[in-house]
Amino acid sequence: MNRLLLATLGAALAFAAQAQEKKTGQGLQNALAMCIGCHGIPGYKTAFPSVYHVPKIAGQQPAYIVAALQAYKSGERSHPSMRGIAASLTEEDMKKLADYYGGNGK
Amino acid sequence: MRLLAALLAFAAAGAVHAADPQAGKAIAAKVCVECHGADGATPSSPDAATKARTPILAGQYRDYLARALTDYKIGRRTNAIMRGFAAGLSKKEIEDVAAWFASQKSNLHDQR
Repeated sequence: MNRLLLATLGAALAFAAQAQEKKTGQGLQNALAMCIGCHGIPGYKTAFPSVYHVPKIAGQQPAYIVAALQAYKSGERSHPSMRGIAASLTEEDMKKLADYYGGNGK
Repeated sequence: MRLLAALLAFAAAGAVHAADPQAGKAIAAKVCVECHGADGATPSSPDAATKARTPILAGQYRDYLARALTDYKIGRRTNAIMRGFAAGLSKKEIEDVAAWFASQKSNLHDQR
């Protein structure tokens, strides 16, 4: 009986840990990996659906970066790549990214 | 050959006249200055949260700025304030004001 209770508790804890991980997001390094392929390359241009330079985000205002990511996640802004990436980010990820890039500003 | 040279000169002149940063400067001084600053490097607002959310435009890529303004103008981006301002700009004025802000200095940069 005790053993069953322990096993149940163990499973519950593991589940809780997983849920917690989801809530705290993927961490700065993993999130950054999605940004640098386009925003880390000077002069890089979008490939789809129309071609223009991807914006410079280093040095930008952190709160603007968060607002932009939220707008992509909600569908309010429509770039396909950015919508996919923002959808995978938690609020905490967005804040970490915004502080990382915005921290390079004035 | 002389015709080709003339054509090339004409094309180059056309490219130069495509966007006029000085005309953009005049637009910025009237339309954009209150929130973005005349040079696009100094966001300001009586409301601290709004100020923090207002992007720096100085030194941003010209074509991205023109794209953003066009998106606001046609409703592809939905910020109520920006939509109103962008709707009042012609295609040429959008190019001019984008060229102006792109030519100004800030700490915006490409970085991993």
